[in-house]
Amino acid sequence: MRREASDDAHRLTRRALLGGGALGALAAGLSGCGAGGGAGGAQEITLYQNKREAIDFFRGLVSEFNEAHSGRIRVIHDTTPGSLSAQFARSTPPALGAYNYNFEMSRFQERGELSDLSDLAEKADIRPAVQDLVDQYPTYPGRTSVIPYSIMGSGVLYNQEVFERHGLEVPTTYSEFLELCGTLRDAGVTPIYQTSGDAWTLAQGVTDYAIGGMLDVAGFFERLRGQGDAAGPDAEVSFSHAFREPFERALEIHSFANSNAASRKYGDGNVAFAQGDAAMYFQGPWALTEIDTINPDARIGVFPLPMTEDPADRKIRVNLDLALWIPESIPHPDAARELLDFLITPELADEYNQANLGFGVRNDSPPIADPRMNDLQGYVDRAAFYQGASVSIPRTILYENYVQGVMTGDSVEGMLRTLDEDWARLARRQ
Amino acid sequence: MSTATEQIATTRADGSRVNPGRGRGRRKVEGVFYLFLLPVLALFTLSITLPAVMGIFFSFTDSVGFGEFNVIGFTNYAVIFSDPAILRAYGFTIGVALCSVVLVNVVALALALGLTSKIKGKTALRTIFVLPMVVSGIIIAFVFRFIFANSLPAAATALGIGPLEESLVSNPSLAWVTIVLVTAFQAAPPAMLIYIAGLMTIPRDVYEASAIDGARPWQQFRHITLPLVSGYVLINMIIGFKDFLSTYEIVVGLTDGGPGTSTVSVAMAIFRGFERGDYAYQMANSTIFFLITLAIALIQLRVTRGRARF
Repeated sequence: MRREASDDAHRLTRRALLGGGALGALAAGLSGCGAGGGAGGAQEITLYQNKREAIDFFRGLVSEFNEAHSGRIRVIHDTTPGSLSAQFARSTPPALGAYNYNFEMSRFQERGELSDLSDLAEKADIRPAVQDLVDQYPTYPGRTSVIPYSIMGSGVLYNQEVFERHGLEVPTTYSEFLELCGTLRDAGVTPIYQTSGDAWTLAQGVTDYAIGGMLDVAGFFERLRGQGDAAGPDAEVSFSHAFREPFERALEIHSFANSNAASRKYGDGNVAFAQGDAAMYFQGPWALTEIDTINPDARIGVFPLPMTEDPADRKIRVNLDLALWIPESIPHPDAARELLDFLITPELADEYNQANLGFGVRNDSPPIADPRMNDLQGYVDRAAFYQGASVSIPRTILYENYVQGVMTGDSVEGMLRTLDEDWARLARRQ
Repeated sequence: MSTATEQIATTRADGSRVNPGRGRGRRKVEGVFYLFLLPVLALFTLSITLPAVMGIFFSFTDSVGFGEFNVIGFTNYAVIFSDPAILRAYGFTIGVALCSVVLVNVVALALALGLTSKIKGKTALRTIFVLPMVVSGIIIAFVFRFIFANSLPAAATALGIGPLEESLVSNPSLAWVTIVLVTAFQAAPPAMLIYIAGLMTIPRDVYEASAIDGARPWQQFRHITLPLVSGYVLINMIIGFKDFLSTYEIVVGLTDGGPGTSTVSVAMAIFRGFERGDYAYQMANSTIFFLITLAIALIQLRVTRGRARF
């Protein structure tokens, strides 16, 4: 799946192919119109940022930037949820992206669509452990194209009132966790609220936590990719072998969920958990905003799901909530770099992270202030974190749906075999 | 009358008639008529043919839809035939299309029969039954999702109907039924309109004559109505089957391919390929799908020519 740098010279690009024909001329003409100079000779560039909760924050920054660069650069803030692939396929990518980063996004880098930002990355003073999160996915030889901006940490959200009412402590080992679930169930409380109607909630929650808590996710995928198309259920490194136990445990945990989990969706889960219908909920900090709106009095805390008998093994799931990149071929790269330079100002980045429950990415980032999340600060500081398996698998493999299938009755063994075969087929063709 | 006929038509020795007017037209076509074709031809070529040819080209590469790619020959095609997800999508799509075609035509014909008989409020009822046509498919699907996931289980629980207490859309072996039902809800009205038009072409006196001979309603339906609307049945089958093969928005709104992967249609798989970085592979899939659809269309055309009466 990962390509060799040596076949660079023989690679084609879609743009080159189009360039030969009349259609290429037409497309170039159109894109010229779209990105051409705006009013008064100002260079017009687009900032692509559509994380809903952060739109107001970036809107403020954009107008501040536009005022300071009046007449020279004009930034258009594109917040439309849509397909980035389509923009790149039309050869009209945004000048600057402030976007979630995971395996799906790494494709843009791997196929040579993102420019080299090594100099700015150095200036941004990113913690090596955080930059490493970018490098866990395929990169482009010789380039640093993605600058982390914010990471989100997630674990098990729990209702502190319910825990106190039943005299429960946060569990530090797997057996303690199971015991706690049993106690809650015996007391007539739903231990865990699951929303199997939305496949992604299972994949980012219970199974990602189980896998991340039991094995080295990044290392596993690196070895798996290294195998190339020799992958498969019987290969040396395989899902069948590595994921079986985590999945069996995930099923064991899932057995403590609400009985109507199969038909519940993410929105239902937020409402139910906010109203205290269950003691625990496997979601990230993004759910807290909504939970807070539904019930501002709910006292929520968070802990990493312990998957072993050693408390020191506990790790949290993180994701690169926002990362910045500039595409390779855009009309005004210098203007885009100026905007990026402005956004990575430490004060702005810190303000963003405090407002959005994110953790800073610099060597000197201040700790998170929100009381609901600061239990996780220690894990971030000592890099006891992993990126979820669910965002490390190409989405063309319907992993989330597979997880949903297993949670509603499919066999784990059969599913992992399918996953291995899908992976091998993909390795053969890409 | 007969002289007029002789003026415009001559009878050949073998008895077949030739229309000299049309024959002359075929020989001498004004060049300007080709000019009229040009805009449409250019549009069709630019927006359909060219992209299709490009898509077929990309099916021989490892492109993800943008950026650098390599030409990899027939690898995508070789992989597709061993991919259970793709094969399952074909099985699901063809199965749902067949069931939908049957259900849609039974419902539409029944409605059309009711709405062409002598009942009160015919116009109002026709309007009501045509309403689903006005609403977009994705909205219908979302509304039904709510009904199947929430309202129906709640009602079933209240009434104590055990099997329906669990949501139909989250049952892997029954979710396809909801897709067929909603497809029928949306596709029955246009089919019904075609049937109404067809039923109105049947002269009343045929029924009167058969009634005098003692035919019962079922016999009238079986031996008069059905044969006389058979052409319309075929039209509806063809239009319906072709539409249902490319079923997309109803699946997205109802199940989004789930639970698991039990309801992923071919069109959905193809579209997901572009969104999820498997562009070239799904281009190979769409090339195959195109050939299958083409084959079905040709078979259906042959059948129609042989049987349909218009």
